[in-house]
Amino acid sequence: MKGARFSGLRRFWDEYRQVKSGLIGIGLLVVFILIVLLEPVALPYRQANERWRDINYWQDSPRLALPVWVNWFTSKDYPRSTVISEPKREEVATGTLRVITMEVPYEFTSGHPPSDMYYKLYLTGRASIAFEFIRPDGEKVELRRSTAVDGAQILRLSAIETLQERAYALGARYEDPTVAKSRNPRMIDTMGVLFGQAAKGIFTKPAILDGTYRMKIQVALVNEQSQLNKAEFVVLGGVSGILGTDGDRRDLWCGFIAGTKWALLIGLLTSLISVVVGVVYGVAAGYFGGWIDALMNRIFEVVLSIPLLPILIVMSAVFNPSIWIIIAMMCIFFWVGPVKTVRSMALQIKEHSYIEAAKALGASHRRILFRHMVPQLIPYSFASMALAVPGAILFEASISLIGLGDPTIVSWGQVLRDAFSSGAVLQGIWWWIIPPGVAIALMGMTFAFIGFAMDTILNPKLKTR
Amino acid sequence: MTEPILVAENLTKWFPVKRTLTQITRGERTWVRAVDGVSFSINKGEIFGLVGESGCGKTTTGKLIMKLLDITDGRLYMKGEDVTHIQGAALAKHRREVQMIFQDPYSSMNPRFTVRDVLMEPLEIHKVGQNLQEREVWVREILNEVKLSPPDEFLVRHPHMLSGGQRQRAATARTLMLSPSVIVADEPVSMIDLSTRAEILSMMRQLQRELGLTYVYVTHDLSTARYFVDRLAVMYLGKIVEMGPVGVVIDRCLHPYTQALIGAVCEPKSGRVNQIKDVPIKGEIPAATNIPPGCRFHPRCLFSVPECWEEVEPTLVDVGGGHMVACRRHEDIEKRGAAARTSDASLGVRRSSFEA
Amino acid sequence: MAKERVLEIRDLELHYFTRKGVVRAVDKISFDLRQSETLGVVGESGCGKTTMGTALLNMPTPPGRIVGGQILLDGHDVLKLSETEVRRRVRWETISMVFQGAMNCLTPVYTIKKQMKETLRQHREMSKQEMDARMKKYLNLVGLSDDVLRRYPHELSGGMKQRVVIAMALFLEPKVVICDEPTTALDVVVQAQVINLLKDLKDELQVSFIFITHDLSIEAEVSDRIMIMYAGRIAEIGTNEQIYGPQGPAHPYTQRLLAATPRLHEEVAELAFIPGTPPDLVAPPTGCRFHPRCHVVMERCSRDDVGLREIEPDHMVACWRCFND
Repeated sequence: MKGARFSGLRRFWDEYRQVKSGLIGIGLLVVFILIVLLEPVALPYRQANERWRDINYWQDSPRLALPVWVNWFTSKDYPRSTVISEPKREEVATGTLRVITMEVPYEFTSGHPPSDMYYKLYLTGRASIAFEFIRPDGEKVELRRSTAVDGAQILRLSAIETLQERAYALGARYEDPTVAKSRNPRMIDTMGVLFGQAAKGIFTKPAILDGTYRMKIQVALVNEQSQLNKAEFVVLGGVSGILGTDGDRRDLWCGFIAGTKWALLIGLLTSLISVVVGVVYGVAAGYFGGWIDALMNRIFEVVLSIPLLPILIVMSAVFNPSIWIIIAMMCIFFWVGPVKTVRSMALQIKEHSYIEAAKALGASHRRILFRHMVPQLIPYSFASMALAVPGAILFEASISLIGLGDPTIVSWGQVLRDAFSSGAVLQGIWWWIIPPGVAIALMGMTFAFIGFAMDTILNPKLKTR
Repeated sequence: MTEPILVAENLTKWFPVKRTLTQITRGERTWVRAVDGVSFSINKGEIFGLVGESGCGKTTTGKLIMKLLDITDGRLYMKGEDVTHIQGAALAKHRREVQMIFQDPYSSMNPRFTVRDVLMEPLEIHKVGQNLQEREVWVREILNEVKLSPPDEFLVRHPHMLSGGQRQRAATARTLMLSPSVIVADEPVSMIDLSTRAEILSMMRQLQRELGLTYVYVTHDLSTARYFVDRLAVMYLGKIVEMGPVGVVIDRCLHPYTQALIGAVCEPKSGRVNQIKDVPIKGEIPAATNIPPGCRFHPRCLFSVPECWEEVEPTLVDVGGGHMVACRRHEDIEKRGAAARTSDASLGVRRSSFEA
Repeated sequence: MAKERVLEIRDLELHYFTRKGVVRAVDKISFDLRQSETLGVVGESGCGKTTMGTALLNMPTPPGRIVGGQILLDGHDVLKLSETEVRRRVRWETISMVFQGAMNCLTPVYTIKKQMKETLRQHREMSKQEMDARMKKYLNLVGLSDDVLRRYPHELSGGMKQRVVIAMALFLEPKVVICDEPTTALDVVVQAQVINLLKDLKDELQVSFIFITHDLSIEAEVSDRIMIMYAGRIAEIGTNEQIYGPQGPAHPYTQRLLAATPRLHEEVAELAFIPGTPPDLVAPPTGCRFHPRCHVVMERCSRDDVGLREIEPDHMVACWRCFND
């Protein structure tokens, strides 16, 4: 008999193989499962899961950077991010005052300016810092800054933040006076000016100035305790990562990988549980009729009219809901979806003679329900599940937006929500919107295709023999 | 040896009708009197026909025999035992004794089941046979009985892969799985092609002889009933109006309703134009919620006299040779034939308020 | 007695183009319909009788298509007319149809009056009074009272609904009415009443009927001539007397069908049946399509295709056994 069971599986697989869409579905599912399994190795940023919302973790990434492969398609390249650790130091000591000079040459040949660049200085004690930006054409942009630091600190000097006024001064010398007057320092593209050719139009459409730029920084350590522990020079490019970065500098490829497992989990669990419960409930209501049906209908209507949102708000006031509780809540409220349709289908099925024939044979209610009625609803169940999957994912995303989600996880829905709330659509930041959207759609497609294939196999009317 | 196997005494089935608010407050209740006091006695090995138009209660009677519906009143005896209100184990036993062949051979089998699933189901429900082997053997045996051979070819098919005749054979096989004594056949051949009908009926006859079955054959087709049935009961609005050996009931029908039915049937003979010109009946069938008083056929009867609606409903009377009629004027009709018809002129204008 | 021919069908072919192949549902059918006659079309499921009925209105059910032949109405080929022409002049005007189960196709949310009016309005420009008069006239003709107009379909019995449908098929005064199983869903008594009605109407209105059914007994009652179809072809056409009379029909299939029909007033020892099933019309048998099931089959039958031939006046058969050569 065991052989029979395996041969049954083999037969099932033979049949399943014949349905092309089913194979695509299985293929996609295998891909998703592989992603989940290989996540530890696939993540470029190992702690993306835990530290998704920690801005310090993502500091060194550019904001809204395009995916790296964009450079293959554009004539003008976007520069990649570079980190130069521990540039050469020259130290000059005069009594207790030590001056450390670091000059970093930066070879620039891209078609677009970097999105930002900055120094990271790990200091202890008091120090004074001077920054000089030397362009290939000789122009210099200076910043003198005196910083009293006490205790260990990490100082970030961002070009955009600190050199804005100076960049404006530089550009104003070359730009058309009327144009220059109409802009103020806050409105200009700082990096574009710093890396742009000194000519008219430097504020509006700067042409790139190629060549070797020098970033010179001088740190004056005031007393003996002062230390320059570490220095890093970071240039943030226009492209980063396989899917680019979002407005909070987070690598979107990490978001995609990390979100896969939650998408699978949320989608599968919620749709499975809610559809199974809903179908059985609807079939039972339709089959039994009478007061049982009436009672079940009333319960259904009550659950249907309970608004999920206030409940979640109340819950989050009491305790922090984890993703499991959210899934549980979704199951509790989503099962009502298929009930109405399933109930009317059950009412129709009940009228068929074979149900009566089964009763005449002495079949128990359980047998009629589960052997005769529920199997008729499998195609509808699969369709329901396929539709429920994206719905569940997006629902989780929506509640994450209003702060009721699980802050410890990363999900595609959350990424998508962040995109919309940051106005990604209006700004044309396609790499933030399309990948998570496509991913959600693919997930839904996976289950839809598998469902269609299952239906083809399980529905004998489609068999032609 | 003929002993009665199935006896019905005053079998009644009334269905409640949903009440309007005014009716509830007034404490009124309307009933659909689908089967309104039916009595018969069927012998072992007999083919008993129940004939009538739609709404006469013949199918409902069949379901009462099957105990698919609860009996409102009256008694039902199976093999001498009172099975009117049985439950549980006794009911399960009754199910094994009485089985049903349904009218539509397609929808009477789950389209997702294979023939094997369909036939195995009764065995699984009643736990027949010690193991799977025994059941397989039994299934194959029955398939051979109904001439669906080779069995292996048919076991794997689904209902829609079978022809109408084959489906009905499979349905018959299903009824035989539990070795019943009585089979209720509800219009088993009406949805099958003419050229295959006789084949199915002949199979049913053969099974009856071999297995000693008793049939209750429910139909609206008098001609097929004549061919297949031993005894016939004609039903109208929930009651039997005439009953007896099939040849006698058809050739020497006494009840006006039976006469009307017989007069309305077409025959495949030439020269019959205008044969059914005047069907001896008038009006339409009344609703089963509003059954006429007295003889329930009186509003449509061409022979009705005031006694028919003023007096109590006539009961079945034996007129010899097992032929029973429920009509107070049956002797008159027999003797004077069509001349016994009444008309308004001959009786003044006393008409029943129920006439259309 | 050669009556004037109202409808001539010549080599009509209708095929269903399905994924499994081409189903030759109606395969070169030729027959005539005469003035004031009822032509019965008899056959079992799958013989093509319903398909032929819809083909006569040039309304094949997709994926069916008429691929050949002529439908001559007063000499003009209906199949050559454009769809607008057919709709305006032929369909319902000259040829109308009572469909199978039509009584269940009355819209439940509209009154009878509204439904009848809709049909009338599609075809004729009539004033309100004219329409009312016409509707009442035909309702009375089929034995219904005027107040049926105010009712909804669910308030009427099966027989009444069928009469309404018949009235709707008649009130544009067509020449031909095709009835597809008009009495199948009705009780015996109501069936007899509807059959009587159709017979009366034929004489009163000088209309011809094509009466399609599977029930041989009804045909004997209703039809002047009967056409027996098998597997998309005509097996036999004959008068009522020729088919049902004492000498019996000529075609073996008709003979067996008759022998399989139960009789009410005769004791029949054993009803005949025809073993096997109707053929697959995608790949029908060679030669005569009935030969695999025929009880008097000859060697020739499986080889040569057989066409209709007249064996006596008004009696045509498609059977090698019946021809003298």
